Amino acid sequence: MDFIVKLAEGFINLFQTGADTFIDWMGSIVPLVLMLLIAMNTLIQLIGENRINKIAQKSAGNPLLRYMVLPFLGSFMLANPMLHSLGRFLPEKYKPSYFAAAGQFAHTSNGIFPHINPAELFIFLGIASGIQQLGLPMTDLAIRYLLVGLVMNFIGGWVTDFTTSYVEKQQKVKLSKKVHVEG
Amino acid sequence: MSKKVKIVKGSGGFGGPLVIGVNGKKDKVMYVTGGHKPAIVDKICEITGASAVNGFETSVPEDEIMAAVIDCGGTLRCGIYPQKGIPTINIMATGKSGPLRQYITEEIYVSNVDVDQVSVAGEEEGSEQASETVQQASSEETEKEEKTESEATYSKDKKIMETRAEQENKSLLTKIGLGAGKVINTFYQAARDAVETMLHTVIPFMGFVALLIGIIQGSGIGDLFANIMSPLAGNIWGLMVIGLICSLPFLSPLLGPGGVIGQVLGTLIGVEIGKGNIPPNLALPALFAINTQNAADFIPVGLGLAEAETKTIEVGVPSVLYSRFLNGVPRVFVAWLASFGLYK
Repeated sequence: MDFIVKLAEGFINLFQTGADTFIDWMGSIVPLVLMLLIAMNTLIQLIGENRINKIAQKSAGNPLLRYMVLPFLGSFMLANPMLHSLGRFLPEKYKPSYFAAAGQFAHTSNGIFPHINPAELFIFLGIASGIQQLGLPMTDLAIRYLLVGLVMNFIGGWVTDFTTSYVEKQQKVKLSKKVHVEG
Repeated sequence: MSKKVKIVKGSGGFGGPLVIGVNGKKDKVMYVTGGHKPAIVDKICEITGASAVNGFETSVPEDEIMAAVIDCGGTLRCGIYPQKGIPTINIMATGKSGPLRQYITEEIYVSNVDVDQVSVAGEEEGSEQASETVQQASSEETEKEEKTESEATYSKDKKIMETRAEQENKSLLTKIGLGAGKVINTFYQAARDAVETMLHTVIPFMGFVALLIGIIQGSGIGDLFANIMSPLAGNIWGLMVIGLICSLPFLSPLLGPGGVIGQVLGTLIGVEIGKGNIPPNLALPALFAINTQNAADFIPVGLGLAEAETKTIEVGVPSVLYSRFLNGVPRVFVAWLASFGLYK
């Protein structure tokens, strides 16, 4: 009999541990992320999409603008997945590189600005909840995540310029370097 | 006229039934499922006479797509095609979720579809078309009514505020009132969107992860995981190995969907950090290591959003996969260098 009781207790314990974790998050992470989401959504609405489109049009010429400034601002203003739509202002040749950089900015900035990619927040939060459990501040991690991202995502975009050239040769096609925007 | 196909939702699925068939130029079934071809694609093509296109290798002009077949777990893709007005068939059981969930409706989206859910459509289309024309006629009538009414100063369709906004000579007070109203409305709408995102996207995932943590910690599996994970995730070389594996060009598109693998790996490492088995400063390189496959499954869709040409997508997919591979390990290493002094 004792054995059965122990077994049942162990079984319930699985879910109790999960439940404790869940309600801990509901009390700490959920309200914070919600407030941030509301503030950021409002800000984005008030600034408007047109302004960021204008920046995108001017960013085509320079790799630093193209793969660092534009995807960083774009991820903040348009969030995932619409930030990829900014690529339409770039020449065909640079679209894969912009995608490569932008896809990563949708994560590295997500620690501080969770409105960018709430659906994949647990890439950051999964690890950060361990930090929180130790009683250490998550913000330190989030800021370093963002800063390393800023540099390495740019390099990622820039390296893609070269891999694109390589694949172009492999497939014997040439992508246009001129901007071609309809409308 | 060729036959139409009827697709109903599978058990636990959402949406449908969809009745689709070849319609003029729209004669292609595009599947964006990380490379493999689901059996339902063949069946749909067989019934309707449409041709199948692998959306992961090439792209199709939107006006030639009859339907899109996807395997999205609920983050992005499941909303993108419905947003473009393309009937979407998801082989996973995903319902309304993700950032584009408002576009996922029963008229255009059906999920958890397998071969059994696909069948030849019966002769119901005629009656459907008839009801559509009736609806159109009635909507025209209501429009006429609206026109006659709006000539009065205050109409019953508009709030006083909206009527005022249309008047040309606004007093200063009206302007302030309208401005404040607009800002407050923006906040309120933002709050509604945010709560929606939390309820439909973040909290469900939280529940799943919390249960996972409970099972890992409450049972003995946690110690087993600790034995495997700590040597791997507990030092920079192990993290670089994780980063390398996730970025392998033939593996990364399969690990990508929904970021689910990355999120589960992150949670596992987080648990070990919380227990003290992994030093906290390694959290930073770990963030990069578990996500070197980032968006690798999403390349054709992302380039589609950037209005890229077919040629660009054919070049772009391998190009980004290669660059993810080249970047993966160096990212982890640089993050490790940047982690010195963190939490010391």
